[in-house]
Amino acid sequence: MTENNQARGLDPAPGGQKSVFSSPLLIVALAITGVIAVWGLVDAAGLAAQAAFLVQIQFTSRAWFIMLAVSFMLIVSILLAFSRYGSIRLGKDDDRPEFSTLSWLTMLFAAGMGVGLLFWGSAEPLTHFELISRYEKQGTAAGYALFVTNFHWGLHAWAIYALTGLVIAYFGFRRGTPSLIGAPIVDTFGRNRITLPVSWLCDLLAIVAIAIGVGGTIAMGVFQVKDGIDALFGLSDTGMGLTAVVFFVLCAAYFPPLVVDLGSGMAKLSNAAMAVAAALMIFILLTGPTHYIMGGIVQALGEYFGGALVHGFRTYTFLDEHIGNWFSSWTLTYMVWWIAWAPFVGVFIARISRGRTIREFICGVILGPTLFSILWFGIFGGAGFHTVLGGESELMEVVQNNVSAVTFYVLNRFPIPGLTISLVVVAAFLFIVTSVVSAAFVLGMFSSGGDLNPSVKIKLSWGVILGALGAVMILSGSIDAIKSIIALGALPFVFVVLLLVVCLLKTLKTEFEN
Amino acid sequence: MSNLLDTVMNIEVFLFIGLLVWLYFKPVDKDRDSSD
Repeated sequence: MTENNQARGLDPAPGGQKSVFSSPLLIVALAITGVIAVWGLVDAAGLAAQAAFLVQIQFTSRAWFIMLAVSFMLIVSILLAFSRYGSIRLGKDDDRPEFSTLSWLTMLFAAGMGVGLLFWGSAEPLTHFELISRYEKQGTAAGYALFVTNFHWGLHAWAIYALTGLVIAYFGFRRGTPSLIGAPIVDTFGRNRITLPVSWLCDLLAIVAIAIGVGGTIAMGVFQVKDGIDALFGLSDTGMGLTAVVFFVLCAAYFPPLVVDLGSGMAKLSNAAMAVAAALMIFILLTGPTHYIMGGIVQALGEYFGGALVHGFRTYTFLDEHIGNWFSSWTLTYMVWWIAWAPFVGVFIARISRGRTIREFICGVILGPTLFSILWFGIFGGAGFHTVLGGESELMEVVQNNVSAVTFYVLNRFPIPGLTISLVVVAAFLFIVTSVVSAAFVLGMFSSGGDLNPSVKIKLSWGVILGALGAVMILSGSIDAIKSIIALGALPFVFVVLLLVVCLLKTLKTEFEN
Repeated sequence: MSNLLDTVMNIEVFLFIGLLVWLYFKPVDKDRDSSD
């Protein structure tokens, strides 16, 4: 295997893990991200326009393919879990899980969704409601808005993560390949002049997508924490000063977990972030209109599990342009966004899932976070709908004019808003830290040829690089540019993930036949 | 022109799906080498 890695330029530097910069793959990846970062600094508007143009072309021509692909991934995941392959263990037959099931679920959830939930908890259902209520009665629109939100954050998103993670875990722990995105391709189809460059290209795309995606997350997370602090203290126009403070505190916070081992670092951070999020959720449920929220959750559960599979094939082809634009801006963007995160979250989920069976892995990864998301949006969305349908129109004005303030507006209507807004800021901060720590860990694995325990030096190096990318994106000041670039970087991954699924299915079939 | 681009992009997808199906059913015995 080492020989294999050397041929692909993925082995650590001679004498052990010495430098992040010892691999041609990483140098090319850094060059690409560097060019994009500099372009963003020099001409953010031009970069955003170019990226948005290319993404729009892809969305127009390939929307059907994106929806078909994510639906296919969900169906394959379900079939695999309940097939004869479900009992195969990700590792040796006597391997057992390294983390408790609760820690495992919180870690994968924190790495996969994290800060977005805090941002969109009330805002997303209300944003969809604003559009749908032009076509439907308000009560119907609220139910459909919640359904669409759950669709964006539910089974399909986690099936993308689950399958990517499953491929990496199966090949890494059972077949002994390096934990790299491209490794299953070489293992399945052999080493030749086609598979080696394809595998190399997949690894390159993975590193670029992870670095840009996490850099963008740092930037967006910092903006959100800053907005929260503004709301908390009633500040206005704090400019870049507070943003810079938040950024440096964030950097100071994510370096210590990089020097400790995965278990004590990530597990504690994820558990803390999830505990804060869960406490907030329970608080809103109990101090808000509990029967109303619970009614909404039960209805959402039934509507979602009854209709999710069919909705995955919905492309809104025969509806007007307004709906078509909404579909591109939301559903397609979300699906591509999850695919952008798939190499990072997939590899990370694989790393923490050694010893679990395929059935246990798929059920845990797909069902656990989906149920939590339904609860989350049911509670925060339900609280928002209770306000709006109760006749208070001011919240809808906030949704239309300043979507990042919606969560804080809703919390302000509940008891002790000072404490709850502080908790949102703390949870957002912890979620960003967990994302950066796990990204630095995964990139460290890539830098060391798939080593499951990359050295502290390599993880710290990636921490610095990710921080620098985040700083560049903060300076560019354009969230839209960041989103378009992430989407553009992720689109090739639709093809990569499907190729990996074929590798998995083919190898599973061979393992059973032999 | 946009229609041509649309056609080309979709043909790429059709070819890719065909490639995946072919790869799945392609016999493996002679594909893999044992360089590891």
